[in-house]
Amino acid sequence: MTRSGFLKWLIGIFGAVSLAGIVYPVLRFLKPPAALSGAIGQVADVGPLSGFPAGQLTAVAVNDQPAAVQNLGGKYIVYSLICTHLGCVVEVAGDSFRCPCHGSEFSPTGVVTRGPAKLPLPTYRSQTRNGSLLVGLIDVSRAAYPGWYKGEF
Amino acid sequence: MSVSAGRLPQPTPSEAKRRKPGHVGWIVNRLGMDDTMEDQYNRVVPFHATNYVYCFGGIALVLFVLLAATGIMLAVYYQPTPDTAYQSVLNISTHVQFGWWIRSIHRWSAGAMVLLVFLHMLRVFFTGAYKKPRELNWLTGVALLLITTGFGFTGYLLPWDQKAYWATKVGTDIAGSVPLIGHFLLVSLRGGEQISAATLGRFFDLHVLVLPAVIIIFLLGHFFMIRRHGISGRL
Repeated sequence: MTRSGFLKWLIGIFGAVSLAGIVYPVLRFLKPPAALSGAIGQVADVGPLSGFPAGQLTAVAVNDQPAAVQNLGGKYIVYSLICTHLGCVVEVAGDSFRCPCHGSEFSPTGVVTRGPAKLPLPTYRSQTRNGSLLVGLIDVSRAAYPGWYKGEF
Repeated sequence: MSVSAGRLPQPTPSEAKRRKPGHVGWIVNRLGMDDTMEDQYNRVVPFHATNYVYCFGGIALVLFVLLAATGIMLAVYYQPTPDTAYQSVLNISTHVQFGWWIRSIHRWSAGAMVLLVFLHMLRVFFTGAYKKPRELNWLTGVALLLITTGFGFTGYLLPWDQKAYWATKVGTDIAGSVPLIGHFLLVSLRGGEQISAATLGRFFDLHVLVLPAVIIIFLLGHFFMIRRHGISGRL
């Protein structure tokens, strides 16, 4: 191989690597993420529906993370129990939530009723199948600025 | 006489030189722009211009190309309605693979481009490069500076967060303070008296359709004149 032939190969290899470094992230970017496709994502089975009596909150673990299931007449809502203030585990107090660390309180629908937390408790995506409750990803649409969506500004 | 009667016409020496071999040659020979391109390739950068301050305009162009590429990608996931805009930006940054990277490049390049265009203007001003015959290029440059800040202003609203909302409120209020036509400017920008879904739609339209079309026209004019005039002489 001649010297100039070798250098041409070298330039070609560098060019191909550089191009791959651009094309690869672009292709990954274009692939729609699972969390946005409507699928509930990685599924954890938190047990049979009979374990979640209507009108009350039942503590469960979703992939080792503390959560609570609320049964609203056959509609199941799964709240994360990680406080949105500084990450303590929120306690279930009757039909609402209270954080033992700094006294944040959340309504039965997870909305902040007493500071210092500012954001509501996030919910998980969930679905029922064969009489048991399957829990997936955190629902991002609730994660931040809930009031913003209702035009409260 | 009979010998020469059957000969094909031979290319003149300059024509023979233009005929290039290979795959690139196949295209080049069909465009017939060899001499024109040769002239562009063989330009010498004057020694006084081999300096970082003479690179600001070029860097601004590189940033523009980056912004166009990443902007096209962001438009894949961005949704310009008040209900979905903030969430779609959040999704790009948290769920789309490499989305944080693409959005960060777009955001940082946007700020850097405004800075670089401004620095480029200072360089042209302080080296006197705006003087005859380059006045028209200075004027297109002024237009490009304004278009760049227009991109910045309209793009700022698109995440639709508190900072975007209030920055746009203040910015359009300033437009509204212009004598006589102020109110017309304000309602034209906002699509009404208040900032609303119409404002977001209009700013999105300006940011991804109107301003890109306008900036490309001015960029082509700007670069054409640089080639026409060459780099200005030394101080």
